[in-house]
Amino acid sequence: MGSLFLLGLIVFWDTARTELPAFNLTVSPKVFPYAIAALLMGLSALLFVQILRGDLAIPEGLEAGDPIKNSDYKTFGIVMASLLSFLLLIERAGFIIAASITFFGITVAFDNKKHVRAAIFGTLFITVIYLSFTHFLHVQLPAGILKGL
Amino acid sequence: MDNVNSLIDGFASALTLSNLGFGLLGTFLGTLVGVLPGIGPALAIALLLPITYTVSPASALIMFAAIYYGAMYGGSTTSILLNTPGESGSVITALEGNKMARNGRAGAALATAAIGSFVAGTIATLILAFTAPTIADMAIKVGAADYVALMLVAFTTVSSLLGASQIRGFISLAVGLVLGLVGADLQSGLSRLTFGNQAAVEGIETVPVIVSIFALGEALYIASRFKELGWNIIPMKGKALMSRDDWKRSWKPWLRGTALGFPLGVIPAGGSEVPTFLSYSVEKKLSKNPEEFGHGAIEGVAGPEAANNANAAGALVPLLALGLPTSATAAVILVAFQTYQIQPGPTLFLTNGALIWTLIASLFIGNTLLLILNLPLVRVWVQLLKVPRPYLFAGIVTFAMLGAYALNTSIFDVQVAIAIGIVGFLFRRFGMPITPLILGLILGPNLELQFRRALQISAGDYGTLWASPLSKVLYAVLIIALFTPIITRFMKRVRKDAHA
Repeated sequence: MGSLFLLGLIVFWDTARTELPAFNLTVSPKVFPYAIAALLMGLSALLFVQILRGDLAIPEGLEAGDPIKNSDYKTFGIVMASLLSFLLLIERAGFIIAASITFFGITVAFDNKKHVRAAIFGTLFITVIYLSFTHFLHVQLPAGILKGL
Repeated sequence: MDNVNSLIDGFASALTLSNLGFGLLGTFLGTLVGVLPGIGPALAIALLLPITYTVSPASALIMFAAIYYGAMYGGSTTSILLNTPGESGSVITALEGNKMARNGRAGAALATAAIGSFVAGTIATLILAFTAPTIADMAIKVGAADYVALMLVAFTTVSSLLGASQIRGFISLAVGLVLGLVGADLQSGLSRLTFGNQAAVEGIETVPVIVSIFALGEALYIASRFKELGWNIIPMKGKALMSRDDWKRSWKPWLRGTALGFPLGVIPAGGSEVPTFLSYSVEKKLSKNPEEFGHGAIEGVAGPEAANNANAAGALVPLLALGLPTSATAAVILVAFQTYQIQPGPTLFLTNGALIWTLIASLFIGNTLLLILNLPLVRVWVQLLKVPRPYLFAGIVTFAMLGAYALNTSIFDVQVAIAIGIVGFLFRRFGMPITPLILGLILGPNLELQFRRALQISAGDYGTLWASPLSKVLYAVLIIALFTPIITRFMKRVRKDAHA
């Protein structure tokens, strides 16, 4: 039932979003968004009917009929937090700090017990990547607060 | 004989010391990334794109070719030893190859996969070299309306043939089309779906989308199911060698796999899933001992692996000749081309001829390098499978974020990447295929362009869309592709009722 409700939400979300192209005013660039909006709405209605008829979504890697377990919110949450920290830190603190924190966060999420080792290895790994990109490949990455070191 | 001369020129420019170096680096990195569990060739190329941002187009294309084949080799190693296929084309390899590995025949499975891929890749690239220019020549006459039809056919086949549910395939496509809409309209300059965000006017970059939908989506999905998943590496004993009997049983499946894989790659048949499954069932039918299938039959690895590689080379034909990607991997390569302002399509062989022949030559070289490199080095790659999972995901995710940011050094791309990562997670959770989304995102704007061009030429007469004979044929194909799954499902139900 949980997955059914969530799928309903997605359908709703899809449908809500499809109204957006109505903001367009000129005639010609509107044709395509309208067509796509109509397609999306039609499809979500069809999917809704399919779900009502009992055709539930099968998560990837499972076979039809496999029990669907509750999601692991803690692991998921830490991964999300690590991603967001990169977004917040990349331009403020620089690549090395942002990426090292993301790296470390994800090792924590995936249940790595040796935190100190992961932190040291992660930082070293990220520093090597940073140096090889900026020096050998000439791809600019923000140095951030470590600038000048 | 023009093609032969061009190809020789291609070899000449691909075989310079620095380009050979890039090729070697590409095979190495491609295999390295491809071996990592859960990473298919599409993601491997997308992840490695940032490395090529600053090298010359020719070297970058050579590297891509090498990464492409390298990632496929790496993927089959992982499928056999770990039973985690990184893409739909390796599902069969995982199925049969993993059984072989369990029976202590990992070496033979890896060898037949590697040599079979080499044979298939070489034959297929040879056919590619001679068909793509011819098709491109013919395609120059193809009009805008025919392109519209062609793209619609590609959309339909990819959406309805992949995955279990046709509706979910089309929903995935539609989401991709919506993403393709974001940004300023190419002709009128009107901003669409940007909500006043300046960075969004440029449109959504395809590279971060592809990387995130695979890498971040996968990481989030695995995280959400973390408690229930485990994994098991099968140790490899001995060398990657085949006995005389293995050779005897492998060479025919290789050739048959190539014959199935290549044509199914050229037509938009929904990627490598169909040819590998077909090859498997053909080998099972032709085998003298079909009872071995499902318990580790070498033919069941040799055939599908060859089909998979030939299919990948086949997919390059419509990509190079028409600018039409028919698989996720081809779509990523198209994006890679576009990074260098190279637009694949009918005129490609005229405008960038030298470059393309270098690419084709480097496909041969990459394939050969891989065979030489991988059979002896297979033990090194196997060690990579022992990278602890937390480090593996941490590395993939940080690299994905790096790629998203480094493309334009733009924070907006990182925001898009995270949002798309969540979409990728939801798609996995609710059984939606991902390839249609990528095709929609990349081809959507192109479809709109050709659609408008056709209508401009006809001064608004919609009849022009199905006026030419070619477009009529294409629409017929479209209808067949759309209704075949529905009809077969209906027939199955009728038959089931009849039995009951």
